[in-house]
Amino acid sequence: MAVAFSEKTKERFKAILAKYPEKGAALLPAMWLAQKEFSVITPEVEEYVAKLLGVPLVRVHEVLTFYTMYAAKPLGKYHLQLCTNISCTLLGAEDILEHLKDKLQIGAGETTPDKKFTLSTVECLGYCGTAPVLQVNDDFHENLTTKKVDELLAKLK
Amino acid sequence: MPTLTIDDQQVTVDQGTTILEAAKKLGIAIPHFCYHPRLTKVDACRMCLVEVKDAPKLVTSCSNAVRDNMVVFTGTPKVEEARKSILEFILINHPLDCPICDKAGECTLQDYYFRYSSQPSRFKDNKVEKHKVVDLGAKMVLDSERCVVCGRCVRFCREVVGEENLGIFNRGDHSEIGTYPGKKIEHNYQGNLVDVCPVGALTAKDFRFKCRSWLLCKADTICPGCSNGCNAVVHFTLRSFNGIKGQRVFRLTPRENNDVNKIWLCDVGRWGYSFVDSIDRLTTPALKKGEDFVKGDWDTALRETASGLKTVVERYGPSAVGVIPSPHLTNEDLYALKCLFSCVLKVANIDFKLPGLDKGEGDKLLLKADRHPNTRGAELLGLSGTGLSAEAMMEKVKTGEIRALYLAGSDPVKYIGEKAEEALSRAELLIFQGTNFSASCKLAHVILPGATFVEKEGTFTNYQGRLQKINKALEPLGEALADWEIFTRLGKRLGAYPSYRCAEEVFKDMAREVAPFNGLSYQKIGPQGIKIADSSQ
Amino acid sequence: MPEPILSRNFSKKNAHTLGVYIQGGGYEALKKALTEMKPEQIIQEVDKSGLKGRGGAGFPVGKKWSFIPKEAPKPKYLVINADEGEPGTYKDRPIMECDPHAVVEGAIITCFAVGIHWAGIYVRGEYVKSIERLEGAINEAYAKGYLGKNILETGFDLDMVVHRGAGAYICGEETGLLESFEGKKGQPRMKPPFPAIVGLFQGPTVINNVESIAAIPHIVKNGGEWFNGLGAPGIGGGVKLFPVSGHVKKPGVYELPMGTPLREIIYKHAGGIRGDKKLKAVIPGGASAPVLKPEEIDVPMEYANLAKIGSMMGSGAVIVMDEDTDLVKTLRVLMCFYAHESCGKCTPCREGTGWMAKIIKRIEKGEGESADLDTIVSIANGIRGRTLCPLGDAAVGPALSFVTKFRQEFEDYIKVGAG
Ligand SMILES: Cc1cc2nc3c(=O)[nH]c(=O)nc-3n(C[C@H](O)[C@H](O)[C@H](O)COP(=O)(O)O)c2cc1C
Ligand code: SF4
Ligand code: SF4
Ligand code: SF4
Ligand code: FES
Repeated sequence: MAVAFSEKTKERFKAILAKYPEKGAALLPAMWLAQKEFSVITPEVEEYVAKLLGVPLVRVHEVLTFYTMYAAKPLGKYHLQLCTNISCTLLGAEDILEHLKDKLQIGAGETTPDKKFTLSTVECLGYCGTAPVLQVNDDFHENLTTKKVDELLAKLK
Repeated sequence: MPTLTIDDQQVTVDQGTTILEAAKKLGIAIPHFCYHPRLTKVDACRMCLVEVKDAPKLVTSCSNAVRDNMVVFTGTPKVEEARKSILEFILINHPLDCPICDKAGECTLQDYYFRYSSQPSRFKDNKVEKHKVVDLGAKMVLDSERCVVCGRCVRFCREVVGEENLGIFNRGDHSEIGTYPGKKIEHNYQGNLVDVCPVGALTAKDFRFKCRSWLLCKADTICPGCSNGCNAVVHFTLRSFNGIKGQRVFRLTPRENNDVNKIWLCDVGRWGYSFVDSIDRLTTPALKKGEDFVKGDWDTALRETASGLKTVVERYGPSAVGVIPSPHLTNEDLYALKCLFSCVLKVANIDFKLPGLDKGEGDKLLLKADRHPNTRGAELLGLSGTGLSAEAMMEKVKTGEIRALYLAGSDPVKYIGEKAEEALSRAELLIFQGTNFSASCKLAHVILPGATFVEKEGTFTNYQGRLQKINKALEPLGEALADWEIFTRLGKRLGAYPSYRCAEEVFKDMAREVAPFNGLSYQKIGPQGIKIADSSQ
Repeated sequence: MPEPILSRNFSKKNAHTLGVYIQGGGYEALKKALTEMKPEQIIQEVDKSGLKGRGGAGFPVGKKWSFIPKEAPKPKYLVINADEGEPGTYKDRPIMECDPHAVVEGAIITCFAVGIHWAGIYVRGEYVKSIERLEGAINEAYAKGYLGKNILETGFDLDMVVHRGAGAYICGEETGLLESFEGKKGQPRMKPPFPAIVGLFQGPTVINNVESIAAIPHIVKNGGEWFNGLGAPGIGGGVKLFPVSGHVKKPGVYELPMGTPLREIIYKHAGGIRGDKKLKAVIPGGASAPVLKPEEIDVPMEYANLAKIGSMMGSGAVIVMDEDTDLVKTLRVLMCFYAHESCGKCTPCREGTGWMAKIIKRIEKGEGESADLDTIVSIANGIRGRTLCPLGDAAVGPALSFVTKFRQEFEDYIKVGAG
């Protein structure tokens, strides 16, 4: 079945389009909408977005593979993104990573078999003053300790 | 116009000229990968760095425009060190494929490394692995590991063909060229991707593993694929090897001509050369005996032809003869034909315009619907409109009013089909002169083997009215002869006919006799051709 | 302690809402600018303020604006850089989260001064809250007539858009950002043409950092000279936000005069080193700034002074490393970062960053060879000054400074292996 935005999303998309002087510029926002609506940017979604904006399909794929935040593969319900850049590493991000791997029994870049968690390591998230930091979907958990991680995971069950 | 100094030499160039282009004018070659004279600049590879006096850093010569009084150095230790370093960077993730790479011998990376570095590698870690043998399109193959990510192929598709079908995916040292997964490049200009690729990342399926590039000889030619007349170079060998028995022509590559083909060739033309060495080539004269053809010698075949034509003309007059030449033939061939039939035999029924001749599929870039290289030449030589049309001739052959039909490279059956087939089979005398066996040839009584465009001298006039020269790279296969020579030999047997010894002599006569060619010579045509008439209507 | 300016709303309740912002004197500068000042006057004030770009390159803001051609065939644009990706940097986020109207007000004034009618703010994809707050502020501003048509009845029109990034450090580079804004990969463009002439959608474009823009209303309200005077004596240039992280007792974003000595930032404001350990190294301006040794920290935090000692001001992000820090691991983190974030367009950065990362990873694993350090130095020199955009140089900064300033530690690692 061909994918398509819901009516509500179509409205949002229209409003976004209206804001830009050039249609193609709405590609990143359109992909955000798509990711929200379909969770994964599958080839069908790429094609849909390309048609919607009248941009070449290959450009959509370039964008999908260039940026790190668009999901080409399904993610778990909770996407755990641990910053492992300098300030977080200085304050123990690697221990947190080991702990997470241990608890979830997956490596970075993997998803638990129950599709609940995806674990990723990411570059600096801009929370260096409250390092180490873990982004869970759109929420940030700061000043992490292994104990806090345990509490967090318990809550996310 | 700014004047600048490059390596102690002064040069004055147009405003906006880049350093690299100014240097080229002085004969100073600056190495580069991403720069291509016909594509937009991206400033990406950094191979073209040069030193500019008073500039804090080395500058990219491909993108920086010259300024008046600029002082540029292209070979200082700093520049040389930078080149070494860039080459080392490119090579750390490059496979050691040279021995089996089709680009070896003409690979920019190989050449530069030999010239500017020649140092052993310091890289001790694992190379990035990328896709190999990617089927990118019907005509070529991608080896991503060999790619230097110059982006020329991407820009070629986007800027020249006007299709955005290639991209660079991922980023950093994982950047990889490709089409959208599962899609293929389908346009008619894939060969140019192989040409613009500075390395062996894109190779032509037609040429892969067939021949080492340095074993090939080259000659300037004109693509015979359509009336555009793209300037080309034919790559050939004088003997066959690699088990590719009998193959002498290995490829066509573009030759720059701003007025004609810029620096591109279409795939139809580029890979249309295979007829030259194909098994259906006509290599000896032949005569029909019953249902079969029997190989003969030139003497017999020409004697049969001459006496046949003579008899028809004597008995039924010249109107009982029809001639259909092909605009595949050169001006020289056609002029020699005209002399023979129109001057010596007084035949008026000469028409090259078979219906549908110009009904191929053309495109906006180069390829023309008329798949013949010399239609405009045939027009200028008046090889139509003097008597019956080619189509009408078919009718008259059928009714018996035309008894002898001479097909000079033409294949009416291909264009008119059954009607032609029926007519040809009723002809009293059907002569077929040409390079390859065809449906029309099959019905002939006499077969005279002609030479292909790489086996003879001559000229074509393209659709723009530009006269361009082809050159003889190879001897005609077997006993085949250049068409003008066949007409000369026939002419000798039929009356007073000049004894041309070479195409140039034919051309000289033509230049004297035919208005648009007046005053021209092979020398004047030059490698880029010369405009002698308007485009055809 | 002087009144905070840029950070005055950081801990004020609901300061992100229009009402609270206006109560604190918000949009007064806008009124002044649009009704009492000529565009040239505004540019002059910004010039006088000594405000230099807070995104990293430190280019004088007033001067940048003056490069925009008055007449242009294409529309002009303002793009605000909120990509904040430089490791260690987290100063723009509190501005957007707690003081989004300052950004909107600054943007309107900037556009008025330069003659722009479309402004976009490019926010990194992870900053969801910043995006919400900015969108909220923009909507409030539209409703109040500060954005849209005929602003404050002056006939000046302006539209403003929030554009969300999607995870790429290189989109902080101004031309990479423009590409990304246009819906493409964020690969930097060739310069010239500079964005001031050919920028977003081919139009002349001003690109400024969030903090630069947020300072504009204060400059307009109180004058350029006033702002300039807030900088350290003899240095000027106003105040700046310094985000401090790493092994300090009180990490945080500190608003301090330009030219405040680094030592003072670490030991006075950030409370010194955790556990009162010794300082081993400090990065003064975000990951790309060459590292400093403890004996170098009396340097005033200001562009020229930092450049003089071979480092740079960058984003002003101070990253502090105590005596127990494993510098091999730290450099590995940084090198992997640059290799991961290299856009791949130009050769030296695409290949060189990956190569350096591979070598340093190998050294960390205990498989280093004695020639490796020289190779890193020569790779870095091969990248330096030869790349299309400054990311290449950004990777060179830490690579060269770590390996040369702390060479012994790296050599020991190679000799003895990891740990
Ligand atoms: C790799 C790289 C990343 C950058 N990231 C940012 C960034 O996240 N935010 C920012 O404001 N400037 C960043 N910059 C600097 C911008 O290119 C540009 O100089 C700045 O946005 C101009 O604004 P300003 O003059 O107000 O500082 C970056 C530069 C480079 C080379
Ligand atoms: S395939 Fe060839 S032309 Fe295309 S980017 Fe790679 S090296 Fe360049
Ligand atoms: S466009 Fe015509 S002349 Fe040119 S390469 Fe193609 S077939 Fe040959
Ligand atoms: S320096 Fe790096 S990030 Fe910048 S253009 Fe080159 S490859 Fe891309
Ligand atoms: S040729 Fe100049 S950068 Fe590639």
